Amino acid sequence: MKRLLIICMMLLVVPAGLLAGSEGLQIPVQEFTLDNGMTFLVVERHNAPVFSGYICVGAGSAYERIGNIGMAHLLEHMMFKGSQEVGTTDWEAERDLMMKEDSVWAKIDDAMQETRYIRLNQPEKLDEHLKYIEDLNSLLDSLAAASSKYVIQNEFDRIYSRNGAAQFNATTGYDFTYYYVSMPANRLELWFNMEAGRLIHPAFREFFPERDVVSEERRQSVENSPDAKLFEQLIGTAFIAHPYQIFWEWQSEENMLTRADAQHFFDTYYIPQRISVAIVGDVTLDEVKEMAEKYFGAMPRGRDPEPIYTVEPPQPGERRVQLEFDANPMLTIAYHKTAFDDPDEPAFSVIERLLGDGRTSRLYKSLVLEKQLCLDIGVYTFPGNMMGDLHPSVFCIDAYPKEGVTTGQIETAVYEELAKLASEPVDETELTKIKNNIDADFVWGTYSNMGLAQFLARAHNLARDWRYLSTLRERLLAVTADDIMNIAAEYFTKENRTVATLIPKAKGGEQ
Amino acid sequence: MKKVILFGAFIMMLAVSASAVNPRDMTFSEIEFDAPEPERWVADNGMVIFFLEDHQLPVLIAHVVIRGGEVYDPEDKVGLASITASLIRSGGAGERTPEQVDADLDFVGAGISSSAADEGLTFDVRALRKDVDQVFSIFADMLIDPKFDSAKTALEISNRKDRILRQNDDPGSITRRVYYQTVFTGHPYGRYATLATTDKISRADIIAQHAKFYSPDNCILAISGDMSSDEAHALIDKYLGAWKSSGFKPEPVPQAIPQFKPGVYYAEKEMNQAHIRFGHLCMDDKNPDRYAMEIMNFVLGSGGFSSRLTKQVRTTAGLAYGVGSYNYLRPLMGTYFGYCVTRPDAMGQATKMMFDIIDEVKKNGITAEEMEIARDATINSFIFNYDTPAQVVISKAYMEYNGFPLDQMERALVNYKAATLEDCNRVAREYLDTENIVIIFTGNKELFDMQPEEFGPVTNVSMEIK
Repeated sequence: MKRLLIICMMLLVVPAGLLAGSEGLQIPVQEFTLDNGMTFLVVERHNAPVFSGYICVGAGSAYERIGNIGMAHLLEHMMFKGSQEVGTTDWEAERDLMMKEDSVWAKIDDAMQETRYIRLNQPEKLDEHLKYIEDLNSLLDSLAAASSKYVIQNEFDRIYSRNGAAQFNATTGYDFTYYYVSMPANRLELWFNMEAGRLIHPAFREFFPERDVVSEERRQSVENSPDAKLFEQLIGTAFIAHPYQIFWEWQSEENMLTRADAQHFFDTYYIPQRISVAIVGDVTLDEVKEMAEKYFGAMPRGRDPEPIYTVEPPQPGERRVQLEFDANPMLTIAYHKTAFDDPDEPAFSVIERLLGDGRTSRLYKSLVLEKQLCLDIGVYTFPGNMMGDLHPSVFCIDAYPKEGVTTGQIETAVYEELAKLASEPVDETELTKIKNNIDADFVWGTYSNMGLAQFLARAHNLARDWRYLSTLRERLLAVTADDIMNIAAEYFTKENRTVATLIPKAKGGEQ
Repeated sequence: MKKVILFGAFIMMLAVSASAVNPRDMTFSEIEFDAPEPERWVADNGMVIFFLEDHQLPVLIAHVVIRGGEVYDPEDKVGLASITASLIRSGGAGERTPEQVDADLDFVGAGISSSAADEGLTFDVRALRKDVDQVFSIFADMLIDPKFDSAKTALEISNRKDRILRQNDDPGSITRRVYYQTVFTGHPYGRYATLATTDKISRADIIAQHAKFYSPDNCILAISGDMSSDEAHALIDKYLGAWKSSGFKPEPVPQAIPQFKPGVYYAEKEMNQAHIRFGHLCMDDKNPDRYAMEIMNFVLGSGGFSSRLTKQVRTTAGLAYGVGSYNYLRPLMGTYFGYCVTRPDAMGQATKMMFDIIDEVKKNGITAEEMEIARDATINSFIFNYDTPAQVVISKAYMEYNGFPLDQMERALVNYKAATLEDCNRVAREYLDTENIVIIFTGNKELFDMQPEEFGPVTNVSMEIK
């Protein structure tokens, strides 16, 4: 049966050089959607025989709930384990062993929950009980060793890498998870075959050791990084309800995740209508269409999952939190702000640049160059999807004080600048500067195949239309000096802010 | 135009069911492409230029490399090259005050950044086509007529000292620093700026540093973007034509590298993880064994998920997120090292596991199949060295800068194709070592499963900031 594909071809127009009045650059984007709801965006660029493929899945960590915290990220790791074809010599045999592993894990889980009651009520049996858990863990190891007979370790990566893949990786965000790679152009069909394999019938092999790998990643990236650890305290304090409150994952939850949790999360969110694919490079629309049909056409449309209904309640007063850490002082401030589609959102993007983008930005100029209070200052949005977040996010400012400067002095200087924003209109030159930079960033963002593919896939999944890229630019350019004053006055208030400070931990015990 | 041909097909390894084609059985034709050949010319003042037209976007990218990086710093003024490079950007240029430079560049969204790592001083310039003239005139003023504003100089020096005060905040950077200080002991490759060396640097030193090293005949410019060759010639003549040679020609860093003292170096840090890095001096960047070494090391520890270290320490044992090995080539002498970040009570287990994996490769070599996969991966991804014009000109600039023939990329490809299993296994035997090495452990040894002493005589690294 022939499927009807609606192809829509439009130009992404980015007038480069607002002031020069040039006609700008025009990028032809071709779009089609399969019957199952999966959308493809294609830009043909024939200057080098390569392409980049970027897959955006509506399955970020914000969809986790107590009980499966850490699942989105661990699942992203599991997607590198291959499929029921790649990574195994005998899928059926392997699956039987996995089921045995899972039932042993279920016993370990139960036994671990029971430990505290045995310790309390039957302490004489505790040693025996702990031995029982240890034996079950050994059994789990031996089952893993048995399945290794069938596992072709890291074959998914090996096939890609052998075929010349570059930039092969994935990223877990709060709203989305991204899978991307660049390949020699004549490997387009390999890419389709590989990605369809893992997106349609993945195999979550080597689950338990991978769970440990993710814990190690967390220890490296959060537990022992002063910046990240401070940020974890900040957002855990700023959000009390919305799932954006959890930075990475909690170790205790991660330790107990199961393969069934992974399968459930996968089945719920990895469905074609939540997947946007962009392919940019030396390919043709016809071949992409043909392969998309061949490899993804049979992927069943899923049931739309429930959206996130939780709305962060308005913050009723300033919140402050401290982190004691073996590092030098740091400060981070957060203000609750809007989601990507809110009418107030574009003004925040302009303010973000006004305050923190480049050496002439207000906070850099005032705090780093003139008052010389801090070494560096950062202004950004969290979670900070490049085109805005699906849910109300936070506007963040962080600073590294110079020796002898207190975080209090920095706070005062920051608040002065924010107050100025609310009381004095931004002059025309400064606003033009910001708008020139917005345009320049759009142009640079499309320089590499990967950059453009990322723009398109993300815009499509976020706004359900990639032309949001153009809309976004128009919305940003329409921001006025009045808008900025109004937004600053409304949002940069004491009660709407959360302040986190890093206090150096004294060496050799308490102070 | 040069025709470059990469391998395509590889041998099937496993037969599978006939129903659908398993990705592992898909084969492809050779990758053929025309490597763009940049134009090269030497300006009257001795500056070498590589240029490629690129009309995909209305932008221009330039990269400059000047011989005079931090390895040339005087012993008692380490940090001078780097501070000078920062002030070239931030200290005012030509008629413009520092504030005017920032305002003019930021207004049009252009970027100029500098760095002074290793041997070279480097500058990156990005501008939209319409702003090229203005941005280039500022950039030329920075190189030729920087002002080193006194207040900005004082701020830069003070900020450098503040950064040094923060050098023990992050365990990864502690481990890296201690490793290079130890393996390149007594040589500029292993030097880091301190509060004392930074304090010694004066504005006069900075002015002298610029007068000496910033000279057109000591400089290579790589440029690509939306302009014709004639326009590029005219642009460079107009703004950089008047730049005069300083007459100073820095020699390649001459000193031999002293042999390091093997042993364990323990850096104490309160943390719930252990950072491990160990290695030894290995080879310089002209060593003909580097190609076989790269293929062998792809299998051992640099080939991502395909490498033995990742498979065994990460995938099977679940001990680390980051683990691997790297052959860091430098003009005089490079270093080969293994690294791992693991939980503290697995520090000893992971280190021993890594030693065993390396010893196994040294003793029994890699397999023919592993070697073919590594070679295919290297060759088939070669195209990504050419996929943007900016990359092509910048890579040419570095070939010339580092004293390689200009067709080094194509020669490298030939060498990768020619490498044999015997070559790979010979370099493994010759270069790999787990005995005469330095080992860095960063962490809290009270939490370790093995004590640092069990790996050799221990030196406690002073964490005092000088």
